[in-house]
Amino acid sequence: MARRGTIYTYSIVHSGIEAFQEQTPYLLAVVEENRHRRMARVEGYTEKTAITIGMEVTFLSDDERGNPVYTFA
Amino acid sequence: MRSVSVIGIGETKFGRFPEKSLRALILEAGAKAIDDAGIDREDVGALFMSNYNAQSFSGQGHLGPLAAEVLGLGNIPTLRVEGACASGSLAFRQALSAVASGMYDVALVGGVEKMTHQSTEAVTAGLAGASDMDLEAGLGATFPSIFAMIANRYCHEYGDVRHEMALCAVQNHENALLNPDAQLQKRITVEQVKNGMPIAHPFTIYDCSLVSDGAAFVVLAATGVAKAVCRKRLVEVVGCGQAGDTLTLASKRSMTTFAATVLAAQQAYGIAGITPAQIDLAEVHDCFTITQIINSEDLGFFAKGKGAVAVAEGKTAANGQMPINVSGGLKAKGHPIGATGLSQIYEIVTQLRGDGGGRQLKRADIGLTHNIGGTAATCVVSIFRGR
Repeated sequence: MARRGTIYTYSIVHSGIEAFQEQTPYLLAVVEENRHRRMARVEGYTEKTAITIGMEVTFLSDDERGNPVYTFA
Repeated sequence: MRSVSVIGIGETKFGRFPEKSLRALILEAGAKAIDDAGIDREDVGALFMSNYNAQSFSGQGHLGPLAAEVLGLGNIPTLRVEGACASGSLAFRQALSAVASGMYDVALVGGVEKMTHQSTEAVTAGLAGASDMDLEAGLGATFPSIFAMIANRYCHEYGDVRHEMALCAVQNHENALLNPDAQLQKRITVEQVKNGMPIAHPFTIYDCSLVSDGAAFVVLAATGVAKAVCRKRLVEVVGCGQAGDTLTLASKRSMTTFAATVLAAQQAYGIAGITPAQIDLAEVHDCFTITQIINSEDLGFFAKGKGAVAVAEGKTAANGQMPINVSGGLKAKGHPIGATGLSQIYEIVTQLRGDGGGRQLKRADIGLTHNIGGTAATCVVSIFRGR
């Protein structure tokens, strides 16, 4: 069964540090799973995506630093 | 512990000064503070020097001896202090402790930062080092985005305060019009703030404090010594508190109240024997618009969740019941990281002396400074009283 988390808070980054500038705009969120919060990337954001605090996201994978990546699916 | 007073202040104008070196900024602000104190250089027992990141921004480390050499302070002990955006008030607290303990009768505290010669990307990357490089910056988080997440959570818990956040920026710009040392002297509107260049939702460029060059210095003396030399109104440091919190945002128990602010303020109020209602004016850390609102609640000026409406009602304006950031704050006076905490003290002492010129408040006897570092991971609150 897929791991699910909920968005505790979020921001859409329009102006990033150089290494991430080409990916803007991208979505960062603090995602809560089992009452444990971690900062995460949420893939699949477009300007048409309506984001709300409390919405569910699905765990995709850990990135190369071990940080969680989620998706809207 | 002995009573300690501020006997001298000095600062540069804040702004973009690509032609001014770190040395030039230090010399201008440091010499002003020493002259203002009316002391000789030989009287300075030690130098506490605040700087966040000259090593990365300019390749310059070892700021203590650099400043001592520039200011002709001879062989006195120096110490460089770093605590992100709270570096200045941390250095102040170290000097306060050293004078209060009796180790020195007079200490000089300085802060400097030179940032504007770097690209926005380089400055943002340099600042990101005050967050967690793996768990936050490594994901693409910047400070605007971290505080934007705080803003979105605040609006979720207490209702939409986008309008009041914009008003904070408008008000600080308004205040800066009367401060000749301010970097931006430009009136802005709520619509401009809301429709500015997007940085990190919900923030536009106008929700963010400035990238600045500048320096600020303060001379501290044991109050007994101060009475003998000080020609201006004596400004006693009646309370100072410091507290910390986790480095990362996600690990904080609450994102909409800053534990470090609450605890540092409790200490400072307790030592001073003063309540929030007795404070005549405050310089409150406004790295982003939401930060000022949250801090104004955590400092006890307004109830939790009522900081935004207080701005809208004009309570935090220069002519309001609780004037906040009459200097223009980090938003419009500027935010040269290492100098910021000392620049807040500069404003409070200026007001308590009655030297505020066009921005002088009618009642200014007790003032407070509040300075946070990183994601409210370091906080110093200090209270000053004119004698």
